[in-house]
Amino acid sequence: MGGKSKTMFRLGLMLLLTFSVVLSGCGGSKDTSSSSGSDSNKNTTEQAATGNNDDKVEPFNVSVFIGEAGQQPTPDNKIYKKIKDELGATFNFEFLAGDINQKLGVMIAGSDYPDLMTGNTKLTAAGAYIPLEDLIEKYAPNLKKHYADYWNMMKDPNDGHIYILPNYGVYNGKLNSTWYSGPAFWIQKDVLEDAGYPKVKTLDEYFDLIAKYKEKNPKIDGSPTIGFEILNYDWRNWGLFNAPQHLIGHPNDGGVVVKDGVAEIFADKDYAKQYYQKLNEVNDKGLIDKETFVQNYDQYLAKLSSGAVLGMFDQHWNFQNAENSLITQKKDNRTYVGLPLVYDVNTKDYYRDRAPLNLNNGFGISVNAKDPERIIKLLDKLITEDWQKTLTWGVEGEDYVVNEKGRFMKTQEQRDKFTDGTWKLANKADAFFSFAPKMEGSFSDGNSTDAAAQPEEYQAGLKEYDKKFLQAYGYNSYVDFFSDPPENPVYYPAWTIDLNEGSEAKVVNTKLNDLSTKFLPKAILAKPADFNSVWTDYTSQIGKVNVKAYEDRINEQIKWRIDNWSK
Amino acid sequence: MEETLGKKRAVRNPKKQKKHPMTWSLIKNQKQLIWMSVPLTLYIILFAYVPIWGWTMAFQNYKPARSFGEQTWVGFKHFKFLFTDDNFLRVLRNTLGMSLINLVLGFVTAIILALLLNEIKKVFLKRTVQTISYLPHFLSWVIVTGIVATSLASDGIINDLLLKLHIIKEPILWLSEGKYFWGVVGASHVWKEVGWNTIIYLAAMASIDPALYEAAEMDGASRYKKMLYVTIPGIKSTIVILLIMSIGHILDAGFEVQYLLGNGLVVDWAETVDIFVLKYGIAQGNYSLATAGGIFKTVVSVTMLLLANWTAKRLGEERLL
Repeated sequence: MGGKSKTMFRLGLMLLLTFSVVLSGCGGSKDTSSSSGSDSNKNTTEQAATGNNDDKVEPFNVSVFIGEAGQQPTPDNKIYKKIKDELGATFNFEFLAGDINQKLGVMIAGSDYPDLMTGNTKLTAAGAYIPLEDLIEKYAPNLKKHYADYWNMMKDPNDGHIYILPNYGVYNGKLNSTWYSGPAFWIQKDVLEDAGYPKVKTLDEYFDLIAKYKEKNPKIDGSPTIGFEILNYDWRNWGLFNAPQHLIGHPNDGGVVVKDGVAEIFADKDYAKQYYQKLNEVNDKGLIDKETFVQNYDQYLAKLSSGAVLGMFDQHWNFQNAENSLITQKKDNRTYVGLPLVYDVNTKDYYRDRAPLNLNNGFGISVNAKDPERIIKLLDKLITEDWQKTLTWGVEGEDYVVNEKGRFMKTQEQRDKFTDGTWKLANKADAFFSFAPKMEGSFSDGNSTDAAAQPEEYQAGLKEYDKKFLQAYGYNSYVDFFSDPPENPVYYPAWTIDLNEGSEAKVVNTKLNDLSTKFLPKAILAKPADFNSVWTDYTSQIGKVNVKAYEDRINEQIKWRIDNWSK
Repeated sequence: MEETLGKKRAVRNPKKQKKHPMTWSLIKNQKQLIWMSVPLTLYIILFAYVPIWGWTMAFQNYKPARSFGEQTWVGFKHFKFLFTDDNFLRVLRNTLGMSLINLVLGFVTAIILALLLNEIKKVFLKRTVQTISYLPHFLSWVIVTGIVATSLASDGIINDLLLKLHIIKEPILWLSEGKYFWGVVGASHVWKEVGWNTIIYLAAMASIDPALYEAAEMDGASRYKKMLYVTIPGIKSTIVILLIMSIGHILDAGFEVQYLLGNGLVVDWAETVDIFVLKYGIAQGNYSLATAGGIFKTVVSVTMLLLANWTAKRLGEERLL
């Protein structure tokens, strides 16, 4: 008996120990990441900020939450090492794993925030960021200068504080663009080549081209040719929803069209009906993939990667991976050209826009950050031109060369490295830089801030196929298919408007999304004779939803932006 | 054997049990056991009872990162939203429908597989079949739905097979028709869980007294008769207990499968209570609504559980409580 009770006792003790170890493990991690920053020497920080960085840089850690899935950089990453050596900062990244809302829910519930967090309205609503305007005024002259023209736009509409330092949308110098990442009607290059490089303007021309090509080539590389794809999966639903606003010559405002400062939804309007009726007609001819509304994102990418899809409406970045795969497979003629289609040739296309300031993106400093001063000084240092060059182009001589005219260029080897994911993890600070404040456009010496947008560099990097293709059209890059974007309206874009967590407007938005997801596929797949009845059903259902609450919120915010953002 | 069975009964049925008064010496005697139960009890209190406090959220317009005193109370507003929404009835129907299908299919297939496995005398073969059938249990639903979506695609294995066997002439788009959706979900559940569910029945079968089989054989029972009159009654109590426990989860039709396989065309059949709550609660930052949905589910679950338990008692079966 004695032996037994001893065993029991030991077992109990072990259980308790296990528990305590597990529990202490849970609580301990936070301290290590932030404590070293707290007792930093103010003077060294000052020195680092003013540029007198000698060997006495006090090291400190910055914990960073990135609201996207990503990969940890290698421990000996070249750029992070440089940052550490010269500015003292070491980043500890936490990337999103799983669902963002769930993750944020947990973070908010426990007020468990790292020092830097990417922007999110949920976090703003929970009061997780500190206001930055005083910090910037006091410690960050470079950031102040960088954002000077955008200062009012950065203010949170709800309380007027600045919480997020937006990563994109601040331009300097000449804006070079060779790459279009936004929405368009995409068409396979081979279709255009086959038709003798026509200039396509309207939706009807577009589908005629596809129909003819499909008839001529019923199979591509062994798999049946697919005329048109529409992805509508989870949050990637714009492929189905967004086209009508572009077809009437309107830029991407999300779910609404704004005319003279007044927003209204367009889902139930006649020009929307016209588009879906066209799709219905095209579907009847067998041009639309039968599985298009059934597939998930992976299946969609797989189809595109096979090269058998002739066209789709999508945002370029959304199918980027499929296109990369086509390039790797050496199927350059199967990659895509974006076309800015409109209903009527007299309408000027407005697909390409000037990237607006995006407040839902970029970094904010959390309320838990022990030393926000040091972090803002670090960011301020990194926005200077020298650092920006390091962060975009890399290290001179290693990652790019400067030619006799003072222009930055790359050798083919360097170019290839820049597309290699593994190389990037060791040699680029992308995880940090993609969310950090950055210069866009060109540096003071005229070089482009983005290697891919440096015109001569872009030309040098073009494949033979693309050179020939662009020559046939007389264009310099694929961006030339689009009209130049006019100056953005002050409020633009409406889709960045925060609908407020838990508000009626947000509920209505979800309902409208639900209805469109349900009825539009039905309408498109219906027999042409039934289209009108499905459409009537759809619009009557929209009529039952409190659309006004949604439009009112957007209009109220548009008005606010016009009042507050006008210079 | 007979004796131990009798003892088990006695413990399960408190009326027949002789009552031990809770004396000091008893506590002293069993102090190791009591100490051992302390961490677990604390664990349960901390993680199962303390969170019930959070239910107050359902009656507030809850805003995170504000203290309890700063919240505004709104009474039954969120419950009202839940029950008056057009979609809610449809969503409830789907949940119950898919849940019942999963329940029935899950039980029937698991028991049949267990019975069949039990008849296999070659241990190697039995183990192999068992291992293969329970491995999918360890895959996450994200992967399983990926496999399901791929095999149900127009050029997927299912359509290929049906075409080759000349059962159909054109590939069927399984995921585009509401009428197939419940079946697809049920079948995916069976594929994923059947082997795992079998384990407990096999364990129950292993504890059946071999003498019963011998006696049956002496009386001239065939293989099927033995299955029918010895094996099934032998695992009946296990079945009933598991059934009662499952009925408590009747509103947990899950959401991953439906969320990942659902699309606009089948949404009328695919959306469950969990997805509804996710969309209109958590995704909107409306935690109160999400909590209200959770409370509704819990109340239904507890009611169903008690009802099933009571029915089992009436029928003179094993019970959970």
